[in-house]
Formats: sequence, structure tokens, C-alpha cells
Amino acid sequence: MTGQTMKHEATDAITDVGSGTDFALRVENVSKSYGAFYALRSVSLNIRRGSIHGLLGENGAGKSTLVGIISGQRTPSSGAIYLDGKEVANADVRAMEEAGVFLVTQEPMIIDHISAAENLMLGIWPSSGGFVRWGRLKADAARMLKGSGIDPDVNAGRLNAVARRKLNILRAMFSGGKVIILDEPTAALTVPDRRQLFDFMRQLKNDGVTFIFISHYNDEILEICDAVSVLRDGSLAGGSEDVASLTSEQLSELVLGRGLVLFQRERRTFASEPVAVSLRNVVAHHVDLDELDIRRGEIVGFTGLPGAGAKELARAIFGLNAARSGTIGFAGDAGQSLPRHPQAAFDRGIAYLSDDRRKDGVVGHLSIAENIALSSLGRRASFGFVQRGQEASLCDGYFASMGIRAPNAEAVVNTLSGGNQQKVCLGRVLATEPRLLILDEPTRGIDVGVKQDVLRIIDGLSKTGVSVIIVSTDTDELVRAVDRVCVFRHGAIHEAVTGDDIATENLRRLAQA
Amino acid sequence: MSTVMTTTAPKETTGQTNVGMHKVVGWILHNVVWIWLVALILGFGMFNEFFLTVMNMQNIMVQATVLGMLGLAVALPLLVAEIDLSIPANLGFSSAIGALAYSDWGMPWFLAMLVGVGVATLIGFFNGLCITKLRMVSLIQTLSMMIILQGALLALTQGKTLTNLSDGYVWIGQASIDGWPVMPLILVLALGLVGILLKMTVLGRSIYAVGGNPLASNSAGIRVDRVKIITYTIAGFLAGVAGFLLASWQMAITSNQGSSYLLYAIAAPIIGGVSVFGGRGNVVGILGGVLLLTVIQVGLAITNVPSFYVGMIGGFMIFIAVAIDAIRVRYFA
Repeated sequence: MTGQTMKHEATDAITDVGSGTDFALRVENVSKSYGAFYALRSVSLNIRRGSIHGLLGENGAGKSTLVGIISGQRTPSSGAIYLDGKEVANADVRAMEEAGVFLVTQEPMIIDHISAAENLMLGIWPSSGGFVRWGRLKADAARMLKGSGIDPDVNAGRLNAVARRKLNILRAMFSGGKVIILDEPTAALTVPDRRQLFDFMRQLKNDGVTFIFISHYNDEILEICDAVSVLRDGSLAGGSEDVASLTSEQLSELVLGRGLVLFQRERRTFASEPVAVSLRNVVAHHVDLDELDIRRGEIVGFTGLPGAGAKELARAIFGLNAARSGTIGFAGDAGQSLPRHPQAAFDRGIAYLSDDRRKDGVVGHLSIAENIALSSLGRRASFGFVQRGQEASLCDGYFASMGIRAPNAEAVVNTLSGGNQQKVCLGRVLATEPRLLILDEPTRGIDVGVKQDVLRIIDGLSKTGVSVIIVSTDTDELVRAVDRVCVFRHGAIHEAVTGDDIATENLRRLAQA
Repeated sequence: MSTVMTTTAPKETTGQTNVGMHKVVGWILHNVVWIWLVALILGFGMFNEFFLTVMNMQNIMVQATVLGMLGLAVALPLLVAEIDLSIPANLGFSSAIGALAYSDWGMPWFLAMLVGVGVATLIGFFNGLCITKLRMVSLIQTLSMMIILQGALLALTQGKTLTNLSDGYVWIGQASIDGWPVMPLILVLALGLVGILLKMTVLGRSIYAVGGNPLASNSAGIRVDRVKIITYTIAGFLAGVAGFLLASWQMAITSNQGSSYLLYAIAAPIIGGVSVFGGRGNVVGILGGVLLLTVIQVGLAITNVPSFYVGMIGGFMIFIAVAIDAIRVRYFA
């Protein structure tokens, strides 16, 4: 184990157990084993009342197991949990919620076709004699929602991502939540939305609410958290009660247990390379693009606010969103109209990786091999029959070269962590041998180590002559992985940035302006 | 990345034997349909010695043929996470068309049979079109198609039973070699072909993928609508063949031919492990479900269970099979 040699200077504060009463939640020596496998090994945490406590770790490090135990979804194999100094034993979700611990997951549990007010009161409707007291419900909801900017009467389906997350947090609070666990609450939020959510959390924190905040992003942890704990391979790798004194590199090192070499693409100019892909007059929903040329081996970043056209253009090129007009040409040919279906796109050498793996990236109950083969089944078949041998060697090849962590390629994709699922998706689209690879948020929701792997794979691919488009709202990723950034506004490229102008502050300013 | 953590875990022998037990129980539950099938055959055999005779086994095989064809037909739309309730009604209607094509329109029996199967295939194709291109909800669309076809059969037959079938037409239902009926061979052939289709072809892979996650399949370049239409079309074709076999076996087409099969045809693949949520199931399981239901039906008929209780007891046996499967999914999946 590398644990002993780890830098631990920041962890002393956390192992120094105080009187107990100023801690809202204490986790003591909690372990969770499945047979001989330990998902958690003697983990202890102390979470101060009215603080925001960050929880960091790679996919599979034990965060979800720990959070599952704290929220009552799973029972620990050994160890104890104390709420307000009192031990809670054998508690299920209901008992933990009654004790004031709530888990707010990535997918907001919101019913779209009823009002924000009723969503807030779901299951706890004020009632008399079995009848819902609507007047009371609306009054209570209006009081709770004041200051959140959410209209109680609006249909929840019309709320945006940040409002939905706020609604979930408020719901947890209204139900008596004192400790609220937020599992990656910023996923899919824009920078201003994230800021809004953080302001909201700080406001609630000042009212005495305690948060456990799970995130993959160091900058978020550094911005919002008062304390942080890092899990690695099921054990506590370290932590700090003084987040202000930490740097992003120190956090990454704690997460990975080694110095992290951040990937940085060697940027160069592509003026001398031949044009590989030319887009002309693309008009689609939220898209109105005159022209765009991408050169051989070039990686172009698309960024912009939601609805500005970056993602929409990417999906239109692949035939997922119908384009009203537009052509795509390869290597200077005359160009054909954009594909109308992903199959046609794959046939012409265009591949696309969705930003939402679970929704439209993987088929969860099929194996890794079956998923990798999925997009190239047709072209590798003869008379409609799958060529087993050829397919097996193809899948084994991508299974190895992607560095997927699983017992073998027959493992079911649902059992993999998010980062490994993303590698499976990447393997699937690469197996179609594309000329143009479009990646939509390729590193969203995956941990910092796997992120470097993915960026390296893309970099290597571009060196074989493939042109790449990366759609991303992660400015840090754009800075490190692409040669040119196209900032979208009103469906068109507002500004293209190259070379040293690709810098974090510059991009944020451009995207928001 | 350091992944060696687990090697230092303390040994837990009790845990490992528990894991072993868990695996055994899981295996038993996984094959519960087959174990339950053997148990029932032995059980019925103890109650009535006729049950275990070769003759009765042949009888069971014949009875299982039509249900098996229907079970396959129902399973295909289930695999793409849709449903087709019109399949038994399609069986009745299309076989009546086939019979009338011979008796009233003067076609040779073979051609008339092909017309019947062709009509069934077209009905399946039409269902597929409605569900994909018009985005109709399959449960309701095929329910209405079922009512239409049942009504159409009644109108065609005017409430009478059609018995004017050619000798050639009824041959397959009556023929035997050394006392072994020929008809079950058609089911064996169909199971084999559908099995190959699902396991070894691009279409089969696409069916499982579409049933598992239609959105991901679409962005993986699979023509989801096309796959669904093809599965419905094949289902219609199988219903047509089942219609021919049933009419040939019974040598008659009643004015409500096939309707009694509806619930059993849906239950058989589900008992056999085809998920109603799509993407899971195989032909071996479907065969197991079909045989289980047939054994229950035949067994209750020939043991001296008073007929008033047959439905209830049969229902309980199916319930137990499904409940055990649900327990398997809940605790051992």
C-alpha cells in the first residue's frame, strides 16, 4: 500500500475527535465487506454542525458505499454512526430521514407534471381526515420557496436544472433535514447556475444546515467546502478541516495516492494540414452556422451556454437532431447533406459520444464486448451473421487499449463505474474507425485519473489523422486538450480562439458575455 | 493505480461458505422453470400412471406446439420492450382467411395456406408501423387490433365453425411417423431458427440492444424503428404458422379460434424469463415456460381433478413459478 507514504500533514485535525456535541454526524470505524472484498475499511469521519464537508475520491473508492450507509440504504458490516452524539443502529432510509439525514441524488426526484409546491410537499401533504389541505400546502410552500427564486405554482417540468436541484434540497430540509448529502449536485450545471447553487448552500449553511458534498471537481471543493475527506480504495486517504490551505494539486494527490501528471496536449498550428472536414450552411434547432473547416488531426473544442448551439451542432452533424439544411464534406470533396440518422453518420465516418452515458451511451445489461461491438455490428457481419471470432478480437483489443477495469470483457456494463462505462462508449465509437470523432462532455462525471486516460486516448487518436470535436463546458478540459476553441452564441461561432489565448479566464469571460 | 487492497483482507471462511450456498440457491432458482417442470411431471405421474406414458408425452408435445409458436411470437415484441396482444386473434383470423381461400375462392390448399400466413405477417407489419411511425402505445394499439380481428373472425365465419379443409391442409396436424406426431417438428424448427436469429445475427443483437436501451441503440447507429417493425412482422408470421397448425390439428376453425390462448401465450415467455421491460430472455427459457404451462394443463385434465377446480389450481401453479422467479430477481440477480 502506498497509504503510509502519503502526505498526511493536513489530516491531523480530522482525527482529533472533539467533544462530540459540535459534530452533527460522526462515522466511527465503519467497514463494509462483500465476502472477502472490502468496499469500506474502518472509515471515520467527523462532520461539524453547520459546515459543508466535501467528500472526494475516484469512482469506486467507496464514496457511494459510505453515503449509502450514512443515508441508511446499506447496513455497515461493522462500526457505528452517531447523530448529534447519539448512536443510530440498524437504521433504514426511513429511520435516517426521521433522524434528519437526507440524500439528494444526481437525478433530482421530481415529478414533472405537478407544481413546485406539491413536489416540495410530496408524501408530507398537510391533511385533515385524509383530505389534502391545499391552502395550507400552498402557504407553507410559498414560505419555503421564498428567496429561492422558484414560483410555487409553476409546473416542476418547466424548472431548469439548478431550480430542480434547489427544490430537492429544500424538500429535504422541509422534511426535517439537518444533514443533507449532495451527490454531485453540480453535474450538468452551467457556471452561473453553479454559483447560484453555491450561494444557496451558503445561505442554508448559515441557517444551521450541515452538508456533505460529493464532487469530482477540485475547484468546487476548494470554493465551497469548509472541510474535506478523501477516500481511496475504501479507506480514508486523508482530509483537512482547513480547506483554504489546500491546493488543487494536493487534493488530486490525495485522491490518486500519487502525484498526478495532468495531461496537456502539445498545441501546434494546423494551417499547413489539409482540410479534413468542411461544414457549410448548417441550419437546425438552435444552430445557424455558415462554415467551419476542421483540419486533419486537429482537435476543436465547442463551448457556450446551453442553447447557444455547441451541443446542438454536434448532434446535428451526427444526425441525432434533424438539420433543416447543411452539408458536410470530407477531404475537400463536394460535400453531401448531413446524415439523417446515426447509422448513416457512422457509415460516412462520423462518430458521436453522448454526454449522458446511462441515457443514450451504453446498453447497461449487455456485456462490455457486446457494447463495444454495437455500432460496428453491421459492417463486420456477413449475410447478417455476426462474425464471432473477428468480433472477439476487436473487443479484446479495445478492452485492453482503453484500460477498462473489469474482470473480463464479458462483464455486464451496469456493474462498472462511470469512468469505465465511458471507456466502453469510447471503445464502441472508435471501433467504427471514424474520420470525424465528436465527443460530448467526454469526461463529465468521471474522476480525475480516468479523465487523463480519456484525454490521452483522444490525443493519440488525433495523431493518427482523425479530426476531433470536443463539446465541453469544462474550461479546464478545453485548455488542456484542444487546439482551437469555438465559442458559440445564438447558434453560430461567436469567436474562435487558438494558441495561448485558450486560457481559463478568457474562455469563461467569452462564454458568459 | 493501486488495486491490490483486497489481497490484504482478512480471511473469512464463514463468509465464503455463505457465498457458496448463495450460489447454489441462486442456480436452483435460476433454473426453477425446469426443476418445477420435472417436479410436476413426476407429481402428475404419481397421481395417474397414464401421465408418464409415451402416448401422453406425445400428446403434450402436440399440445405444446401451438402454444410454443405463440409464445415465440409474443416474446419477440417483449424483447424490444413492446407487447403484441393481437397475436392469438391474428392466429384465428388469418387461419380463417386461409381456409376460406381454399373453400370459397377455390385456391389450392397450399396457396391458400400461404395466403393465410401472408395476411398474418402483414398484420404484424402493420402493428409495427403503427407503433413506430405513428408512435401508438403498443399495449392499446394491439389491444384494439385484437378486438378488430376477433370481430372480423366472427363476421367471416358468421358464428359457424369452418370444417371444409383440404386433406393436404390437415395433413401436418394428423401425420405421425411410428406413432410420433410430426407437428412438434415445426416448433423445434421455429425454436432453432429464432434461437439462431437472436444469438448469431446482427438483427438479434440489435433486438436485445433496442430492448435494453432504445436511446443508446439509436445513437449507436441502430435503426430502432426498423428493428421493431421487423420483430412485429416476424411475430405476425409466427402467429400465421401457429394458426395453420391449430386449424390443421383440430381440423376445424371455430368462430373464436385462438382467443383462449391469449393469457397463456403471454404467460409462457414471461415464466420462461423473458423480461416485460425488454432486452432479456432466450428461446430455451421460452420453451421451458411453454412446456410448464402445457404440463399443468394436460396434467390437470387427466388426473381426476374436478373440472370446477382446474382453472384455479392451474392459476396457482403459474403463480408459484412467477413468484419464485421474482424472488430470484430480487435476491439473487
